[in-house]
Amino acid sequence: MTRRNAGWAILKAASAAGGAAFFAHWLKAVQPVTSAHGHESHVQAPPDPHNWEAYKPQFFSAEDFHMLDLVTATLIPSDDTPGAHDACVAHFIDFVVYAAAEYAPDMQAQWRRAMAYLRGEQFVTMSEEQRVALLERISEPERDASKRNPGYKHYALIKDMTVHAFYTSRIGLVDVLKYQGLAYLTEFPGCSHPEHEKV
Amino acid sequence: MQKFDVIIAGSGACGGWACMALAQNGFKVALVEAGSHIEPFRDFHHQWPYQLPFRGAGQPGYLRRYHRGATEYNYRIMIDDADNPYTTPPDKPFRWLRSRVLGGRTLHWSRASDRFSDLEFKAASRDGYGEDWPISYADIAPYYDRVERFIGVSAAPANLPQFPDGVFLAPMPLNCAETIFSAAAQKIGFPATPRRVAQLTRTWNNRPPCHYCGNCVNGCDVGAMFSTVSTTLPPALKTGNVTLLCDSVVSHVLMNKENRASGVRYVERYTNRSVEIGASVVVLAGSSLENTRLLLNSANGGLANSSGVLGKYLMDQIGGADVTGFLPPLKDTPIRNDDGKAGGLYIPNFTNIGPKPGSSGFIRGYAMSASGGAALFPAFASGLAGFGSSYKKQVNLLYPAAARVWLSGGEMLPRKDNFVELDANVRDKWGIPVLKITCTHCDNDRRLYNDFFARAQELFRAARGEIVDAKPYLSPPGSLIHEVGTSRMGNDAKTSVLNSFCQTHDIPNLFVFGGGCFVTTGDKHPTLTMMALTARGCDLLVDLARKGDMA
Repeated sequence: MTRRNAGWAILKAASAAGGAAFFAHWLKAVQPVTSAHGHESHVQAPPDPHNWEAYKPQFFSAEDFHMLDLVTATLIPSDDTPGAHDACVAHFIDFVVYAAAEYAPDMQAQWRRAMAYLRGEQFVTMSEEQRVALLERISEPERDASKRNPGYKHYALIKDMTVHAFYTSRIGLVDVLKYQGLAYLTEFPGCSHPEHEKV
Repeated sequence: MQKFDVIIAGSGACGGWACMALAQNGFKVALVEAGSHIEPFRDFHHQWPYQLPFRGAGQPGYLRRYHRGATEYNYRIMIDDADNPYTTPPDKPFRWLRSRVLGGRTLHWSRASDRFSDLEFKAASRDGYGEDWPISYADIAPYYDRVERFIGVSAAPANLPQFPDGVFLAPMPLNCAETIFSAAAQKIGFPATPRRVAQLTRTWNNRPPCHYCGNCVNGCDVGAMFSTVSTTLPPALKTGNVTLLCDSVVSHVLMNKENRASGVRYVERYTNRSVEIGASVVVLAGSSLENTRLLLNSANGGLANSSGVLGKYLMDQIGGADVTGFLPPLKDTPIRNDDGKAGGLYIPNFTNIGPKPGSSGFIRGYAMSASGGAALFPAFASGLAGFGSSYKKQVNLLYPAAARVWLSGGEMLPRKDNFVELDANVRDKWGIPVLKITCTHCDNDRRLYNDFFARAQELFRAARGEIVDAKPYLSPPGSLIHEVGTSRMGNDAKTSVLNSFCQTHDIPNLFVFGGGCFVTTGDKHPTLTMMALTARGCDLLVDLARKGDMA
């Protein structure tokens, strides 16, 4: 099996063509192209077919959705590269959690609790420094396994999904990570570094 | 009743090969497949995570009905466990990953194609445990040649007695992480070579070479990786001798009064209609355990079971937690295409191959693999502490440096008390009794895994790697998806189900191809050996039929 894919946190917790024309297409496919954010890439990544900007939240209330957008943007901020807000991470999370109703209602309950927790902490009205301080505090068990914090499970839930959503988005994968695979290549670009041939 | 020369139940690696070999010899073949028809050029294409509704993870909870390993990319070519259950004793989990689709597991297998050596075929003579195979390397070598030559195996000769070389296409180059691991292996005296894969590096038998997209396990869109649908089925269909019956779940082998197989009964998947077809020869090729289930369901006490061994000596290879971490020289380097070939570096077995097997505290051997680099998903990111800009920079910096060493397969000892039987109380969606699987590891299996774990860390350290995750965990049997045995081969009809040609001792016109015949698991990936044994069995079948012995 593969390590290229990720599953939901909730699941983890619970348990012949040929010929010249054909190859010409491959060669064309590896010409450098410029992405929407101006980074040159050798990957011809197709556009995201979903219009996330126009997506209307279906699971979270308008207030919670705004809060979710803030917390994901604090976890993966827009800095010198795009962040969770640019990648519409909150929109995607809303879509996933909404769709959990059918087979994983427990996932919806977890997200309701996480939102209630952040509401109780007045997350939305906090300053940016206060938000960072809160997340620092509740994420302490992540850095030190001997520590406990009642907010940690909510942090872990939101972070796991944010990381998944961001790095599987076109912005996260192509523009930020600059992933080079899933291409059509005529040969595999193996290691060309003599320094890697000895340790 | 419709009549054929040969009925083949199952269209995976062995069913596909048998279909091609027999149809090309002029036999009228019915290829009966329980799953749906598939056209690789229509059904498989590159998929970016953000193109899928749930970015690869599926609608939350939905994939629970599928086996672990099924993803939003590929669940349609995996099996639905809700429709196709199996049972185990509550304290003895077994993972059984199956496919029901034309081509079976060849559509998403890991393509590793290794030859067994006599160290495996004759292991019992060397260390005194269990039984030897009834064949030696010399018996099977010409068939390895034949299969490799046809399917195309990219590999480098290694010149190691425990890992025989074959007929190879050029190997795929190593990526940076694999190059570093290769140097590390050399430093500490581990053998290492590019993983041998049935994946083309040049145009071969009308199939195009690999284009290095790395999408292999979701179905190859051009047929550069070996699968039944890309490789063996097209020439089989070209003969005009093949009748393809998909969505047809075989439930019984039919017998006549002369104790010969006379055909099969199958259930049409969507209508539940029961249909019988006849043939002079019946070939079971529906995977090790599905073949055994069919035999158990076809007669009281099991068909072809005068030995009483049918269902016994179940094995999987040993697998467990990887050693993962980072390779510092690759941190913060420009992103390269690292996962496009999905191969890895292979460390063939080097334990117990000398004159004193067992001196390492356990018998038999194992093989490791190592790879790393930028992947389609940065799996390490969820486990990386922190958030904010520093976290994001750290993910980018570590992205090309992620690395892991994993157990490709360790030999699990054959034991009679690891077995399958029919569960009288549970039936699948088509009313066929399901298998109850009882399988556990023994102390030798655990010692072998622990040795792997220590050696894997040794390799990681020799590569000057930073180990992040190193918690030993022996996965439940079945996890390696190398389940074999339960209808083992042998020269003695009292202690084995099949002879060395995969023909049942009891019923001369009944053949069983696949891993069921394995006497031991060896430390190699099993598919190439299953296919070579299929090719060998088909040669005998053709000979016997021409002499009139199959009528």
